[in-house]
Amino acid sequence: MIRIVDGWKSYGDLQVLKGVSFEVGEQEVKVIFGPSGSGKSTLLRCINMLDPLDKGEVYLHEQNLIAPGVNPNMMRARIGMVFQHFNLFAHLKAIDNVSIGLRRVKKLPKEEARAKALEMLGRVKMAKWADHYPAQLSGGQQQRVGIARALSMKPDVILFDEPTSALDPELIGEVLQVMLDIAKSGTTMIVVTHEMGFAKAVASEMLFLDNGIIVERGTPQHFFVSPKSERVKHFLKQLDILYGSHKELLKRSNEEESK
Amino acid sequence: MFQVLPQPIEDILRVLEYWDHILAGFLTTMELYGGALVMGFFLGLLLALLRQYGGIILSRIATGYIEIIRGTPLLAQLFFIYFLPYSMNSILEAQGLSPIPIGKWNIQTDIIILDRIITYTIFDHRMLVGLLTLGLNSAAYQAEYIRGAIKSVGTGQLLAAQSLGMSRLAAIRHVVLPQALRRVIPAWSNEAAYLPKYTVVVFFIGVVDLFGEAHFIVANTFRTLTTYVFIALIFLALITIVSKALDFIHKRTSIPGV
Amino acid sequence: MVETPDLPSIFFYILVNGLPTTLLLTALGLLGGFVLGLSLAIMRVYGGIELGWIASAYEKVLRGIPLLILISIFVFGIPGIFWFIDPLMRPFFGVILALGLRSGAYQSQLFRGAILSVDPGQMMAARALGMNQFQAFRHIVLPQALRLAIPSWSNEYAVVIKDSSYAYGFGIIEMLKVAFRVSANYPLLWAPTMVVVAIIYFIFTFPITKMFGERQTKKLKKLGMGGD
Repeated sequence: MIRIVDGWKSYGDLQVLKGVSFEVGEQEVKVIFGPSGSGKSTLLRCINMLDPLDKGEVYLHEQNLIAPGVNPNMMRARIGMVFQHFNLFAHLKAIDNVSIGLRRVKKLPKEEARAKALEMLGRVKMAKWADHYPAQLSGGQQQRVGIARALSMKPDVILFDEPTSALDPELIGEVLQVMLDIAKSGTTMIVVTHEMGFAKAVASEMLFLDNGIIVERGTPQHFFVSPKSERVKHFLKQLDILYGSHKELLKRSNEEESK
Repeated sequence: MFQVLPQPIEDILRVLEYWDHILAGFLTTMELYGGALVMGFFLGLLLALLRQYGGIILSRIATGYIEIIRGTPLLAQLFFIYFLPYSMNSILEAQGLSPIPIGKWNIQTDIIILDRIITYTIFDHRMLVGLLTLGLNSAAYQAEYIRGAIKSVGTGQLLAAQSLGMSRLAAIRHVVLPQALRRVIPAWSNEAAYLPKYTVVVFFIGVVDLFGEAHFIVANTFRTLTTYVFIALIFLALITIVSKALDFIHKRTSIPGV
Repeated sequence: MVETPDLPSIFFYILVNGLPTTLLLTALGLLGGFVLGLSLAIMRVYGGIELGWIASAYEKVLRGIPLLILISIFVFGIPGIFWFIDPLMRPFFGVILALGLRSGAYQSQLFRGAILSVDPGQMMAARALGMNQFQAFRHIVLPQALRLAIPSWSNEYAVVIKDSSYAYGFGIIEMLKVAFRVSANYPLLWAPTMVVVAIIYFIFTFPITKMFGERQTKKLKKLGMGGD
């Protein structure tokens, strides 16, 4: 459904992506992880052309997004994005943050946009905060509004750029819960995250990105049981030290799943 | 209006014939600028220190002065100072006292360059009023820049100096001010470089600065646009040079981390 | 006024006869400066090298010329620019033009600062929603930049209202001119009348810059705008 073919990207002398290719099928969840500076965020920004690729192609439903004549704005409206630092529009209330895309891009009438936005806020359990400004919300609440904003456009795929890494630990759960919900409802997602519990629960495939290339890919089971490359083993060990055992996280996510 | 076709070269040459007037006007402008800048700096430094460290009463007075100057037009300040002796004289006269002599003195010198004799007024009562106004006005603006820099140095430095046994005054003098004055340079440069612009108000009380000489040249040549644009370019050049020079000095005097 | 006027009546006389013109000069100068300044700021931020250079050169030139000379250029130097206006009214428009052109240079700087202080993530999020650059600027960046600009804009208002007093030198009957008329025959009143004028200006600058300066900055902080 969405496919990136041999993507290259550099900033000046710095080669950030060196030939990245992968494909995401309908209702699939891909998790991308890897050390900081490995090009994960750049990859997402290249997929929705906020940063155009130097070389390579991106296909959405077999349509080449980079081909001449394609309106990148129309394409971006079909690719949702959730940001590490939320990037909620500071001058707009939660409800208007969610409805502005519907009004200005999809040109829906005000009332209809508002009704849909309220429904989306309901999906992320933020309906009663609709009239609050971003600065009046906690990080977790802001990120849930950010997810509602992306959902509101009914995109074909949603890109998540480290959605929980700027959050205090006690706020991560509520955001992951919302992400789990929308993943299970069949949303196609590409998620850059180090939340291995989340990956285990919903990822159809995980990609380990390092130095601009996909070093290893496989199911969560593969990564947690028998990762091949030394770099992946080392990295997973580091995550263990940072976040506690992923086995612990796995257990917790299994419990949540069984609820 | 007096020309059928514009003749830019002839116009400029005609204006340049009055180079002696332009030079005299430039000297007057520079005198006002230099005087106001220096006076404004020292008075501004005093105001900033009073506002920051002066205790309740003195800091209120300094704040009030700064806000009043910044909240009223330079032109009103100029006329107030200019008229003050006249108003006082009418009180003195009513009481049968002898009035203050106004405008009875000046210091002039003749400068001879090539074939021209320039009678240059170094100082008179109008210059005095102009200098006082510009200095008192600029002080309020400079004080705010200096105070900003003093605040940014922070109380930690003051406390550290006092903990060494320095008196408060010595700590301000030897620790806070040397840092604050370096920090103030970028913001202060703005005020310093643009001050020449404001000196032209003295035209209204009859000081013949560059702008005043422009009127003289216009009256004699009718080259109105050429004259004003030429004078404008002199100011533009002066301001650009001063601000570049201050930038250069700033880069030369900066200390890492200050 | 046959007998020597007292200061309160001078105060109200100036207020009634001079303030409207002063406020009109200020409003029109600020408005012209707003349109020009915002356009220049947009040119500097989004306009690429050439347009940005033009805008920044304009700022430098207009900031480096004394306002009195600028007004003189429009009133005496090229009186023909207002050929379609009654000759008696031309100086009035000359002053407004000079005030507006110069304020445009300053407003360009403050709007540029405001646009640049809107978090780049805001533009990115708007583009990610599918807005084009203009929509993202119009609906997301500009509303925030205008709010951020209010404190410095209130300063610019104070500058323009104070500088509108230069119109006095060009035969326009604004506050300063009215003050001179009132006190013309009473040397005793010359200096006090200047104080009265100054008080009116102060009333129209200080509270406004205080309110929009400090309060607005606090309010914006609460909204999480203005960075950091």
